[in-house]
Order: sequence, then C-alpha cells, then structure tokens
Amino acid sequence: MIQVNNVTKKFGDFPALDGLNMHVERGAIYGLVGPNGAGKSTIIRHLCGVYKQDAGEILIEGQPVFENELLKQKMAIIPDDIFFFLQANTKDMMKFYKNMYPKFDEKLFFKIAECFPEINMKKMVRSLSKGMQKQVAFMLAIASRPEVMILDEPVDGLDPVMRRQVWSLIMSDVAETGVTVLVSSHNLRELEDVCDHVGIMNHGKLLIERSLDDLQTSITKVQVAFEGEMPELPEEIQVLKKISNGRVHTLIVKGEPRAAEQRIAALNPLLMDVLPLTLEEIFIYELGGEDYAVKDIIF
Amino acid sequence: MQSKTSFFNKGLYKKNISRTWIAGLLYLIILLLLMPVSYIISIADWDNTYFVDVGISKGMCLFMHIADMPTAGLAAFIVIVLSAITFWYLFYKRDTYMMHAFPISRKSAYFTGMASILTVAVIPVVVVSIIMTIIALTVDTIALAGIWYWALIVIVSTVLFLSIAMFALMVSGQLITGIVFYGIFVMLYYLMELAFRITSSMLLFGMGASLQSQRVRILSPLQFIPGNCKVDYVARYTDSGYLRTLVMKLEGAEYLAIYFVAALVLLTVSFLLYKYKKLETVHDFIAVPFMKPVFTIGMAFFISMVAGAFVSGMYEATGNHTYGSKFAVAIISSIIIGAIIFFATQMMIEKTIRVFSAKKAMYCAGYSVAALAVLLCLRFDVFKVENKVPKASEVAWVGIESQYTMVFTSEDEINTAISLHKNFLADKKELRDVNVKYEDVSGTFFTIKYKLKNGDTITRQYQVVDTESPDVSAEYVAATQPILDFLNNPTIIKEHVIGNIWDDCHVRDMYFNTVTYDDVHNQFNYYTEYFMNLSEYERMQKYEKVYQALLKDIDDGKVFRTTFSGYSMENETKSLYNDLSFTVLNGDVPYFSDVDTFYEEQYDPRTKYDSDGQRYEQSIYCSLNIDCKNTLKALKDEGFYYSDDQVITWDEYDKLMGYSEYEDPEAY
Repeated sequence: MIQVNNVTKKFGDFPALDGLNMHVERGAIYGLVGPNGAGKSTIIRHLCGVYKQDAGEILIEGQPVFENELLKQKMAIIPDDIFFFLQANTKDMMKFYKNMYPKFDEKLFFKIAECFPEINMKKMVRSLSKGMQKQVAFMLAIASRPEVMILDEPVDGLDPVMRRQVWSLIMSDVAETGVTVLVSSHNLRELEDVCDHVGIMNHGKLLIERSLDDLQTSITKVQVAFEGEMPELPEEIQVLKKISNGRVHTLIVKGEPRAAEQRIAALNPLLMDVLPLTLEEIFIYELGGEDYAVKDIIF
Repeated sequence: MQSKTSFFNKGLYKKNISRTWIAGLLYLIILLLLMPVSYIISIADWDNTYFVDVGISKGMCLFMHIADMPTAGLAAFIVIVLSAITFWYLFYKRDTYMMHAFPISRKSAYFTGMASILTVAVIPVVVVSIIMTIIALTVDTIALAGIWYWALIVIVSTVLFLSIAMFALMVSGQLITGIVFYGIFVMLYYLMELAFRITSSMLLFGMGASLQSQRVRILSPLQFIPGNCKVDYVARYTDSGYLRTLVMKLEGAEYLAIYFVAALVLLTVSFLLYKYKKLETVHDFIAVPFMKPVFTIGMAFFISMVAGAFVSGMYEATGNHTYGSKFAVAIISSIIIGAIIFFATQMMIEKTIRVFSAKKAMYCAGYSVAALAVLLCLRFDVFKVENKVPKASEVAWVGIESQYTMVFTSEDEINTAISLHKNFLADKKELRDVNVKYEDVSGTFFTIKYKLKNGDTITRQYQVVDTESPDVSAEYVAATQPILDFLNNPTIIKEHVIGNIWDDCHVRDMYFNTVTYDDVHNQFNYYTEYFMNLSEYERMQKYEKVYQALLKDIDDGKVFRTTFSGYSMENETKSLYNDLSFTVLNGDVPYFSDVDTFYEEQYDPRTKYDSDGQRYEQSIYCSLNIDCKNTLKALKDEGFYYSDDQVITWDEYDKLMGYSEYEDPEAY
C-alpha cells in the first residue's frame, strides 16, 4: 500500500532521510517510532505530498503521491499541529472537507460528532482547546472515508478517556473499512496496543520494520542466577545488554527466544526466567545499539 | 502514473473568497465614495457650481471627474492585501504543511488563488463602472468611454501588480519580507536608477544635477501608469474664463497592452517558482536559491554605493577636495560598507549571526573586487557618463543656463552647443578641480541640458570660475571662453534673452526704478515714472526709443553679458541698483520662452500643441550697468529719470546702507 524506496532528503547539508525504505501493507496499522530528530515528521510530510524527496520514490497504491490530487483524495492526514482556517467553525471546515474529499460522509460526520458532545459546532475551531481541535480533526478525517490515514502524534494533548475513545474510533474504522493507518507516536505503550506493524527510525533510516509479534519475539529478557561466576555464554547468543546484580544477571538477548532459552539452560543456572519485552524496552535496546543518547539513563 | 489535475478548485475558491470578501467590500466602498458619491455631491447644487459659470456640462464634468480618479495606486494596494490573505498559508509551517496535504495540486492552488484575488479586486471596479455608466446615461454619454477606459486601466494594473505580488511572495518564505519585496520590486528600476544618480551626482564631473533628469520609465509601473495611461482632457478657456474647447483623451493603450503581456509572463514565472518551491523554506528570508546571491549582491552593491557617495559628500563638506580624493573616500567607504551589508544579508538569509567562514569571506572578497571594478569604471568613465554628449540628430533642443537661460532649437545652434560642450569636456582634467586649483577665484555654475527627441533629458552642471581672472590658466580659458563667446554673441542674446520676437515687436510697458537718498530722513526714496499723463501711443514711442538704445548696447556688448565670475567686486562697482523691466509683444507671432522650455513648462518634442495655448508677450528684466550709455541716455532723454543722482550702483547703494564691502547685499 505504502512503499518508500531509498528515499533521501537533505535540509542544507543535513540528511534528514538517508536512503529510507519502508513498506506498509494494506489494512495494517503501522507504528512509526524513533527518537526526536529521527526523521519521522519528515517522512510523514513526504507521504502527505508536502515535501518532495531528493532521491528515491514514494508510492501509495503504486502511484507517486507528490502533486497527486486523486490519490490524496483517498488519504486523510492528521498532523501534530493541526491547521484550521481562521474564523472557520466546525461546520465550515466540514463543508471545506466535503468539497475536497469526494467520499466525504456527512452523516458519518454527524454520527461521530455525537461521540464528542462537548464540541460546539458553531464555535470557531481555532478557539477550541487543543484536545477539542484534535477531536474535530478526527471527525473530519474519518468522515472523509480515506483508504489511508496518516497520523502524526494523533492523541497528543487528549485526556486518557478521550485517547481511548479516539483509538477506538480508529480501530473500528480499520475493522469496518480496512483503512491503512500509519501512525507516528512517542507513546509506545499505546502503539503496542493498536499497531500490528512497527518501524523504528533513527538518523533518517529505518532500523527495524517488522510485525509487532515478530519484534516482540525477536528480543527477550532473560533473568538468570548461577552458583558462582556467570559462565561464558555461547557465541550464538547475541546479548544486547547485560546487567548484573549480585548473582542475578539480566540479559537482553536478540534472536529467537526459545533457542536462547535452551542454550542458557544448558549452562545449568540456579534460576532462569524468560520474559517478553515491551515495545518501549525494544525501542530503547535497539536504539541503545545505535548509540542512542539515553541508553544508560534507564538502568 | 501521475493523475491529471485541474486548474481550479471550487472548494478552495469559495474558502478564499470567504476570507477576502471583506477587503473587497472595503475596496468597493472606497471606490463608491471616490467616484459616484463624490460626483453626485459635486453636481448636487448644479446651478450654483463653478462648472456652470465657465460653461462645463454635467457630462464634461463627469469626464473630468473620471480623469482625476486614481488607478495604479489603488490596484497596487488592494492586490498586495488580497494576495497576502489568500496565500497566507505559504508563510506558516503548520498552514503550509496542511494545505499541501489536502488533495489540491500547487497548480490548482495557484490558479484558484489568482481567480479569487481577481474576483475580489475586479468586481468592485466593474460594479462602480456600471454605476458610473448609469449616471452617464442619465446626464450625458460623452463620459462613457472615459469610464470604461478607467476600468480597463485599473483592471490591467490589477493583473500587473498581482503578477509582481505573486513573484515577491514566492521569492520569500516570510510574509512581511514578501510584502517588502513587493514594494521594492514595484519601485525596483526607479530605485536602481536613483541610486546610480545619487552616486553620480556626488562623484562624477558634471553630474551635480543628474537627479533632475530622472524620468519615470515603463519599468516603474506605479509611477508610469498614472502619468502615461490615463483618461485625460485639455480645456481651453476664453479670456473671460469661459470654456472654449474641451479635448478628451484616452492615453496609453499601447502601454497597457505591454503591461498585460508582461504580467502574464511574470505570473507564469511565479507559478513555476511555486511549482518547484521547496516547502521546507517556509520562514526563510529568501525561499528561492538563485535569488539569494542576487539579493546579497544587489543589496550590498546599491546600499554601499549610495552610502559611499554620502560619506564622500560629508568629506567634501569639510573643505575643497579634488575629485580624486573624493572618489578615493567613496571607494574605500563603499567597499567597507559593502562588506558589512554582505554579511548582514547573509545573516538575514541564514537566520543566524554565525555566518563568518572562510567560504563566505572568499565570496565577500569576490564581491568586493567586482564592486571595486565597477566603482573604478565609474571613476575612469568607462560607461561614458561624464563624457556623454548626444548626437545632434537625437537632440530636440539644447539649453544653456548660467546668468541667463537660453534654449537652442535650430540645427546650427544645436551643433555649435554640442561642439562647445565637447571642447569643454576635452579639458576635463583641467576643469574638474577648479574648486581646489582656483580656490580664490570667484566662480559660478553653468548647466547644459539636452532634450532628446525620445523624451529623455541629459543634464550636466559644471563649476566654473572667472575666465578673466589672471590666476586661471590658458588651458582653462581655452576650454571655457568659447562658451562665453557664444552666449555673448549679440544676435544670440537678442534671440534668446529678449526672445524670438525681438526684432518684430512692440514694447507694451516699461519701468525704470530710480533711487535717491534722503539725507535728512536717512532713507531711500524710490520712484517709477508711469507717464500717466501721456497717451498710450506717446508712451509706446518712448518705450521704443529706449528699447532701440538697449539693442544698441547689446550690440556693443554692454548688457545681458554672461560671465563665469558669479558675484565679484567689479560687478558691484558697475552694476546698477536701478531696475529696468519691459514687456515685448507681437500679437501675430507666438512667443517662444527659453526659460519655460528649459524647465519643460511648454515645449515637448512629442506633443503637437494648439496655438491657442501659446503666449504672445513676455516681460523682460534687464540688469543695467554704468557702461550701458545708450540705454541710460535714452531713459534720461525720455524722462524715466532726470538726474544722474537717481542712478546708483550696487557699490554706492551698499556704502549708503553701511554694508561691508565683503558682504553680499542680497543676503539682506
């Protein structure tokens, strides 16, 4: 559905995207994560057709997105900083979206609006709180009946109840229409709940792109205790991180968990526990290998 | 495959209109107040208006009203307001990212923006024109063409300024900078020429009056359109002030066509800038890469050039300095100021003060060398500015002004004046530093002005000193004396000081002021003889005799002589304080005024003018001196004065008044 092939973008001498490759399947909810300055917003602006890449190609449904009106009619964008026309109220914006998006569903818009009763449709949108503006943006985006939704920090600024409500709207839309969602967020716990695929970016490149299940089973946390000193681990076990606390050692191991478990068990530990990693932990350990600045702060 | 996109987006158009209609409404109100409302008010009490008194009809009044209406200025203002509102989103990151994420191509956004701006800017003009048409149909239809020609001028101006506004807004990533660029682009050619003229007026030989020669050209539309594309009229009145003829004119259609084509080209260029604009340049001082060096070099060069000339001007104010030293000061100042401006513009472009690097220093050095080369070219007159003398075939007339203002239109006189000017310039090195070389010699300025057949003017003004001073060199005299000899030719004096009717005229009136000093009351008594007891014929007989005596003095080289001495003690001892003035008249031959022509109040080589607009008489002021024996004798013989005590020189006057001999009495 979305193909980003070897995309490069420089701002002056700074390479914001450096041969980026990314692939999102139809109907997937793809979480794009990465530290600040990794290039997430830059690739999202390319996917929206705002920026034009210096090299490489960006295809959605096999078509280049830049200056492609018809393709963009099938896309809904919610940026981190939302734009509404000055003086426009929610109904004005709805009329504008109706003119822009041929599939705009007015009935659906009002139906979704019922979920957000606190929004005054006649009030100027720019005068609403940031959270309410986000809600309006979601109402407009979902009612546009898009085939692709691109969301940049979509629930940032919303209270927990509203976040849940918004995610449930997106999930039901995905279930109902099969819309492909690409979402960038720093809230990894939330992404973990909703995404089926994850891409981790750093320095303008994608470090990892996998289904969340694959990702979570590719890195394992193993807690082991030995009677004496910890024996040397076999070379096949790729340890990303090792923390020792007395006789108890915590190992972050990359690779198939079952194989790692069997190899460590062969060393006869007194105690061994194999735990799955959260997305947040995976993010930190993966970027730790990339010299991510915070790698040691968390331990 | 890339999908096709349209030029127009209805939704965006409606949105644009919804944001700009209020500006359009205000524009309409202003136009309504300026046009129909003020016209209706002006004719409300028609029978008691000035128009009725002079025989102007309501229709003529309407035409004259239209002719007074603004055109380009209004369009230039409304266009930048509407463009800024419509393309607001280009200058704010959030807005530009979201707008370009919508399913609208840049082509569609651009042309839809154009359509909405033109709708809001043009509809008020059309509405007002329709209202004015209705008014014209109720009073007189003669103004109809004027109304719709005015509308055409405003609409073409709107399209033209829209194209300039779009170019300016596409060049910058900052709204305020874009608006400032718009102002600069609208005035660009005029400002560039002004910068060159300011510099040359301060630094180049003979260019002291160059600012007076600046002419508004087609590349400065804001000034050019009101002067050249207009609804105009020429009203001629009888002696009693009643309207004789009213000629209505619709001028400048050819310029409007040129402007329209230029606007289409510029709109296309602006569209291409938008199409290929990198949106990450939002907030950048200059968003188009190729404009960055153009802006940097342009700003550094023009500002430093003018600033250097001003520094040189300040240096000149400290005393008499040679051209070479003034130029050296200007060049050094320009290079230093240019380097400062160069880095200042880099700071603006890069939005940081950390712009000092070896690479930038190298660029700055390159610029400085280029700027130095241009300034040295100016100094050594590579562009032939100082030495510019037009060909005789290009000249409509040539004027020379020193003590008297003379304009030469005949081929022989033009050729002579050109050859004198060339001879003068041949000794430029001898002449350019007279203020230093002949510091103690009294002097003055003389101006030579060429009016070319294409309407351009070349004006040169030179500082000169008294050729009769023993201190001046033979080379100096050789360069300047031929000019004086030409100007002091009696035939030239009679033809150009008295005028073309000098040998076929009546002297209608003549006044000679006499002065006597009353020792008792310690005051001057002034008297003028009007010959009120005589008939007009008798008076004119007297005037004629004095006039003939004056012509003889001219032939003898005693009066109306031009010198380059300016104010001098010798003049003081010879020049009379008494004034002689008279009026020459020939009812059949129009009087050609050299002064009016020189100052362009009468003569325009491109205009055929109606003889009804000519004058037939001219008052002449004559500064007599004690050598004008024939004139003084005739004045005494004819009773203008009776005693020699009534005639005093400036020197005698100063002594009686107690002025110091070194004081200039005119200062009092």
